[in-house]
This record gives sequence, structure tokens and C-alpha cells, in this order.
Amino acid sequence: MKKLLSLLLALTMAFTLVACGGAEEFELALITDYGTIDDGSFNQGSWEGIVQYAEANNISHKYFQPADEAADAYLNAIDLAVQSGAKVIVTPGFMFETSIFIAQDRYPDVKFILLDGSPNNGDWDNYEGKVGDNVVSIFYAEDQSGFLAGYAMVKDGYRNLGYMGGMAVPPVVRFGHGFVQGAEYAAQELGLADGSININYFYTGTFNPAPEIQTRAAAWYNDGVEVIFVAGGGIFYSVVPAAENEGKFVIGVDVDQSPLSDTVITSALKLVTSSVYDSVEAYYNGRFAGGQTLLYEASNMGIGLPMATSKFNSFSQADYDAIFAKIVSGAVVVNNNTDIAPADLPISAVVVNDQN
Amino acid sequence: MSFDVLVFLIQQMMFFSIPLLIVALGGMFSERSGVVNIALEGIMIMGAFIGVLFIFFVQNANARLNAQPLLLVALLLAALAGSLIALPHAYASVHMKANQVISGTAINMFAPAFAIYVARMIRTVQQIPFTNQFYIESVPVLGDIPVIGQFLFQKTYLTTYLGFLILAISWILLYKTPFGLRLRACGEHPQAADSVGIGVFKMRYIGVMISGALAGIGGVVFVIPTSITFDATVSGYGFLALAVLIFGQWKPGRILFAAFFFGLMKTISVAYSSIPFLSSLQISGSVYKMIPFIATLVVLAFSSRRSMAPKAVGIPYDKGSR
Repeated sequence: MKKLLSLLLALTMAFTLVACGGAEEFELALITDYGTIDDGSFNQGSWEGIVQYAEANNISHKYFQPADEAADAYLNAIDLAVQSGAKVIVTPGFMFETSIFIAQDRYPDVKFILLDGSPNNGDWDNYEGKVGDNVVSIFYAEDQSGFLAGYAMVKDGYRNLGYMGGMAVPPVVRFGHGFVQGAEYAAQELGLADGSININYFYTGTFNPAPEIQTRAAAWYNDGVEVIFVAGGGIFYSVVPAAENEGKFVIGVDVDQSPLSDTVITSALKLVTSSVYDSVEAYYNGRFAGGQTLLYEASNMGIGLPMATSKFNSFSQADYDAIFAKIVSGAVVVNNNTDIAPADLPISAVVVNDQN
Repeated sequence: MSFDVLVFLIQQMMFFSIPLLIVALGGMFSERSGVVNIALEGIMIMGAFIGVLFIFFVQNANARLNAQPLLLVALLLAALAGSLIALPHAYASVHMKANQVISGTAINMFAPAFAIYVARMIRTVQQIPFTNQFYIESVPVLGDIPVIGQFLFQKTYLTTYLGFLILAISWILLYKTPFGLRLRACGEHPQAADSVGIGVFKMRYIGVMISGALAGIGGVVFVIPTSITFDATVSGYGFLALAVLIFGQWKPGRILFAAFFFGLMKTISVAYSSIPFLSSLQISGSVYKMIPFIATLVVLAFSSRRSMAPKAVGIPYDKGSR
């Protein structure tokens, strides 16, 4: 029995070493969240930020994929990265909140860049959270990004919209609420009557594709919905077939998703790549914003729409620049409270058909 | 309920029902020969993986095969892959007289891992994308028939007709041929079958292989209409097909009814907003989500009293026992 155990242990170690490239040293590391390094979304965007800076400045860099999608596995991957000499570790996704909460004290000399989250103990009854001096916590104004998408759609002549989010986590909720408010703002500008814009609104409760999501999307399109804003990772792959078959459209999220399907009119962006690049650059220039929480929003070009690849009928670059400037100047304020229902937002021209 | 709504519901229902029908029929062949097949889920994944991988390669090689032939070849490959992966299950449960649940479970665990591993070797990511070029807006001539054309020949896939074809063939094979009689005998009383010279092992092997082929086909049929990528999962539809098989009392006609019932309940639970009567009720969406499960509970409570499982299912055949 002992022999068997030691053999198993040796094998495990051998595999771990192979998987992680052994004693190779490097300074910049990324730990992937759900999905893989080329997920066309969050992980990939973050990694591109690292690669851009590292290749321009000739710095060694590497990514790790945790063995499992769980806090323990994430922490193991962080341990491994530190042992391999990582000085800066990028962790994309709110799933890392609890791992970083532990790691920031365990490795005070290592810098962490946490996207979409703030370190905490994950216990909502005895909540404890702090952004350590070696951590920068980055958030994005998804509400502003969603706002731009909703505004552009109504300006472009669409009147019957849909919003499908993944799990109702704060970033996803902010995208949806922003979308509703953007549609309302455009409707007011155009002087549309009360109730002239319809938005079907639903959280699927998952970030994975499922046939039920395809059917729900098909039902929406069949009811007259012209375009669905899909903010939930893999559910995109279930909505697109419905859009293709019904000859309707979708709006992508996080990154420019137009290469994935011709049905994508535009995408509500979070500029993940540039935010990672900025923080890495700041570290090497001795300006690492340790202990701070950064918000990437319109005013620092942290969100937006990819106008070059968007397929609008009439919504122009000038229209886009005008509304963008209003958000930057504060003339338009988007409500980012995630504790209310979408129907409770201050809307009149828009009717939210909440299906949750 | 207006006519258009009904048409829409039926069209959507097919996306759920047809894969369930094909896979449950597959399970029927295995179980009527006397071998429990809970590996349907894993075999579906395997079939879908091979089928979609083939479509991916062809589409990327720019060898633009016509859509429907490409789909048929993919289905054929999926059937082959399905029966191949079912082979170890047949060997373990027929020759080795092993517990049939265990080898089935092993396949269920192996298939997604294999699909992810190979996909990553090929593409570094586990998703395999494909372009859906298989959608049929309207079947020529037949689609123009009023009423029936709208229900059955518009906004559809070739796989829908394949499903009905498989149903018809299954029924004939099972009830109108000597082969079917022997297969059923092996599932009811293998000793009696053996005593009149039927090779029980052979029949059981064939039963499991047919079941693998159909489950493999079902995997592709399931993935094509509802996604644009294969992610090493069929969302538990293999297990749902088992429920359909049981609800369908191991009989082709009833399996068809069960598959349509499950499909319709699933469709209503998500597409209720299209049904004027239901959307005017203004009740919470969660209530609709419960519909398939409540309906299943009620129906099973009434129908399970007369469960007619093959008598020898799950029992390895031992010549010495009686």
C-alpha cells in the first residue's frame, strides 16, 4: 500500500512538473478563470495585455491553467507561479476574490492584478475584505457599456429588444441595467411615446450553452424581438443559432464578437487588454497602484463599442462620439445599482418584460 | 391559440424531441436484448464529438461539400464512433458478466474527458465551432402543402425525417422480423432463447452496438440545431433519453409519444412568452420552469405501476443458471 501511494505521489508530481514547464523562471504570470486562454473573451483579453507589454519590453511571461475551477485549485496555481519566480500575477474574474484574499498576505512581495473583483473571504455572513498593498483591484463600468449599446440600438431604429444575461452577478446585472437605461435615453431624445420600446429581460443562470436558451431566444424572435443583447459567455453560442435561423440579430459582450457570427451588430466592450497593460506598465515604472480599486469607464476609455466593425443602419461615429462625451462629462449618469429590478429603473418609454 | 403559435411550438419541439427519440430507441435495442445501457449520455457525447469534428475539418478545409451530404456523412461517422465506444460496454456486460451499470458509468466519465483532451490537442481550446449550413427554410414542394407543410416541412433539419425513419425501421425490425423476435427473447428469457439455438451473446452484442450507433447519431442531431459550437457536453439529454425509454415502456410507439411529451413540456417551459394564453397569466417565470418536472412526476406516478421492463434486463446471461 505504501509503495502504491508513493508511486502515485511521484506520478502526480511528475505530471504537475510537465504541465507547468518545470524550473523555467518568469516574471509575469496569468492564471486562467473559467475556460481557456483563447476563450475569445476575458482570459484571452487579459493575456493579450500581458503579451503586448512583455514582448515590447522583453520580459518573460507565462500562463497557468488551474487543475480545477475551484478556489483551492486557483490558490495552488498562484503558489506555483510564485515558486517559479512570478513578480506580477494577473487573475481575471470574480472567482479569484477568495484566493487573492489569502494570497495577498501569503506573498507580500508579489503584486496581484485582480479583474472584476475585490479580495474577500467569501463569507457573506462574516464578511471580511481588503485590498492589500500589493493588490490592485480593477472594475469596469459595464453599465456605461450596456448603456451605449441600448442607446445605439434605439437610435438605429430598433424598437423591440431583448436582454439575456448569464448568472445575475453584479457585472452581468450592470450590463442589463445599462442597456435598459440607454434605450430609455435614446427614446426620450427621439421623443417616442411611453411604452413604445419593449425589452424582454432574462438571466439564464448559467454561462454555458444549453438548448433551452436557443428555444427561449427563438421564442423571443418569433414574438417580434429584433435584437438580443447576450451578456453571458457561452450562452452566446445558444442564442446565435436562433438569430441565424430567424434572420435576426444579437449584440455581443466583453470583446468584439463580430468575427463569431454575421448576426452580431455590435458588442458592448470592456477594454480588458488595455487595463491589464496599464497596470503592468505601472508596475515596471514604479507606479503600481497597490491597495487601490480602479474603475475603467468612459472617462478613461475603459469601455465602448467597436464602431469599425459594427453594422448599424444609421447610427454614425458622430452620434457615438456625442453620447460618449456626455457620459464622460457627467451629463448622462447611468444608474449602476445592482440591488433593484430592471423594471424599477426610472423608465417610461421603455417597458421591461421581466421573465425572471 | 393561434395557428402560427402552434406551428412555432411544434417546430421548436422537434429540436428537443427528435434527439430524445433517436437515443431512446437506441436504448431500447440494448435493453430489449437484456443489457442496461446507462452509457447513452457518454455515447452521445462521443458521437457528437466525432460528427462535429468532421464538420469542422471539412468546413475549414474549404472543401464546401453540399450541406446535406456533409451532414449525412457526419451522422454516419457518429454512428460508427458510437458503436465503437459501446463495444467495451458490450464486452464487459456480455462476455465478462460485469455489473452493467459500472461499465456504462465508465463510458459516461470517459467520453467528455476524451472529447476535451483531443479537442485541446487539435485546437488548444475545448470548443469545436461549426457553421450551421444545415437549416432547411422550407422543403421544396412539400413545404408548400397547407397546414402539414407548415408543421413538418418548414424551418426544419434533415435529422427530423431521419428520426421518423429510424422509428419506422425500429418498429419493423423489432416486431416484423425474426431478428426482432430473437432480440426480444434474449431480453425476456435468454435460457429459453438459447435452448432453441439463438446465440444470446451475439444478439446482445448486436443490441448494444445498435444502441451505440443510434446514440451517436442522436448526439449530432442534438448539437446541430441548438448551437454553433460543441463543448464536450450534451446537457444530460442522454439521461433524459433513459427516462423517455422507461416512460415509453420499451416500445417504439410509446417512446415516440414520450419523446414528444417531454419535448413539448420543455418547449412550453421556455417559450411561454409566445403563447398568448400563458403570457397573459402574468405569473413568475420560475413557475414555467417547473412545468417539465411536475408533468414528468405526474405522468410517471400514473404510468409506472404497469412498468414493463424486459424481464432479463441487467442480468448477465449464464448458461448454467435457470
